[in-house]
Amino acid sequence: MTPPPAASVADMIRPIPVVADSEVNRDILAVMDRPTMPYWLLLGFLVVFVHAAGAVWVYQVYKGLGIAGYAHPIFWGVYIVTFVFWVGIAHAGTLISAILYLFRSKWRNAINRSAEAMTVFAVLTAAQFLGIHVGRIWKSYFILPYPNQRGLWVNFKSPLVWDTFAISTYGTISALFLFVGLIPDFAIARDRSTGWRKLLYTALALGWQGKSNQWKAWNRTVLHLSGLCTPLVLSVHSVVSWDFAMSIVPTWHATIFAPYFVAGAIFSGFAMVLTMMIPVRRIFGLEAYITDYHFDNMGKFILLTSLIVGYSYVMEFFIAWYSGNEFEQTAWWYRVFGPYWISTWTMLVCNTMIPQLLWFKRVRTHVPTLFAVSIFVNIGMWFERYVIIVIGLSHEYDPAVWGIYTPRPAELMILAGSFAFFAMFFVIFIKLFPVIAVSEMKELAIHRKSHAPEGAH
Amino acid sequence: MPLLLGVFETPHRVVEVIGRLRNRGYEDLDVFSPAPFPEVENALIDPPSRVRLWTLIGGLAGVTTGFAMTIWMSLDWPIVVGGKALASIPPYVVIGFELTILFGGLLTLVGLAVHAGLPHGKFGKNDAGYSARFSAEDFGLTVRCKERDVVEVDALLRAFNAKEVSLVEP
Repeated sequence: MTPPPAASVADMIRPIPVVADSEVNRDILAVMDRPTMPYWLLLGFLVVFVHAAGAVWVYQVYKGLGIAGYAHPIFWGVYIVTFVFWVGIAHAGTLISAILYLFRSKWRNAINRSAEAMTVFAVLTAAQFLGIHVGRIWKSYFILPYPNQRGLWVNFKSPLVWDTFAISTYGTISALFLFVGLIPDFAIARDRSTGWRKLLYTALALGWQGKSNQWKAWNRTVLHLSGLCTPLVLSVHSVVSWDFAMSIVPTWHATIFAPYFVAGAIFSGFAMVLTMMIPVRRIFGLEAYITDYHFDNMGKFILLTSLIVGYSYVMEFFIAWYSGNEFEQTAWWYRVFGPYWISTWTMLVCNTMIPQLLWFKRVRTHVPTLFAVSIFVNIGMWFERYVIIVIGLSHEYDPAVWGIYTPRPAELMILAGSFAFFAMFFVIFIKLFPVIAVSEMKELAIHRKSHAPEGAH
Repeated sequence: MPLLLGVFETPHRVVEVIGRLRNRGYEDLDVFSPAPFPEVENALIDPPSRVRLWTLIGGLAGVTTGFAMTIWMSLDWPIVVGGKALASIPPYVVIGFELTILFGGLLTLVGLAVHAGLPHGKFGKNDAGYSARFSAEDFGLTVRCKERDVVEVDALLRAFNAKEVSLVEP
């Protein structure tokens, strides 16, 4: 073939025409548009609330843990309850992202990003409570094995040290997973933004252009991170459950604890994803992406995990009776009919009875009812941890160490502050990062488009 | 050498045209793709991604560190806890496991950076031919060829239903 004349090559140089943006980009990035006044009001309220709770915490540091309701024999109260609650919430994100990814459940694409973000924020919230609970926050680094003058190391046989490793690994890996998933979406945002946002997304996108080597390595990275996260998510709440199960407190010392806690964590995590996503979908008009089908599926997950949790409750009672162990039997009787009966019955009703409504498809696809169920599950799961921790400690072997614990205002304020802390990060996240995985939604859209012209459908 | 850019709508067209171009001896090809499509990536890059090696190395380093650290520290400050052996393996499995995941995950990220070439390019500058439409829904195939082949490549790209073909670098 003869080379073309120079003039014709020059003729071919022309600017690439600007084309209309894809619908997926437009719809999802629209969520990140300039915040409205209600948004600022909500964010302002959350920030103020977090600071108010922070002030209470500072006061507690100043006065000491005495202002919490801790009293002999109960030294694990609302703070540890809330720690376990938030670690549990953190489980849905990784389950949706990693386990459903490995199962190739494509429906996860609409919700995985927000669930991953919730995971990171929930771990962050949970981690605060370890510091809040230990009281002398300036010594909390003692839990890490670091070289020191006394040449002493941490006790690796303690479940609390395992917990430190599990939670910090979980926080790190889930943040990393969220970030890796966001890289291609940062590039999308970079190409469509101006000003400081352009600078931010340019930095975060790391020069991503969707080149073949980039996608190839990215795909493999997501697969491997999913493979690593799947056992991790199961291990984290198992390790948290061992904080209790490794002791000899009646109602705690049970081998069922690990699977029971993991199921409960997924149960509460899914409920929290629903609690957050139902308003987000409504406010930002994302009905085309987060459909009733997604809610339906999540409802089924909640139902399944509710059944596992309910089975665990029944099994605990059964084993207490069947063991013939007097201490176990007394403790269980005390749990249901003792002075804390309200907590126990709240837990039982919210976690095992109300979710039974989800057997009906009409409930799973009726958004307001589903939202109400998710709230009840959140409440029930907080009370589950309260029941396990507080009631367990208040009625051990020796009547001389029986006692009653009542949460004090400082604890309740910090508990409420934790919800504001979590919601604050999520509210900031919505406006700063794509709340739905854009490139993964696009993958589905392009697949549909490439099959459409064949005329079959 | 001139660089041509063909814009395509569907991944299978890209795969077809890559096969054709390779048959004709054009090897300097790259694709800008809006979403992951393994068929496109595999058409350009043969072996499975090496990121897997990084994960393996990280995981092995993690499990080794986990057990070595716990055993060594227990022996370095010997104190018997609960009547157990100084270096008792069962509780250390938890630490070994967590560090396997932690190091495996961190090195996977390093692997991503190495094999995806991230961070890529100069800050704020894109590769020749890249445009925002490739983070919308179009695929861009770039072909670097000798000046005398420009017309042939142009015709080839159009023959496979390229929406547009342009010469981005003469």
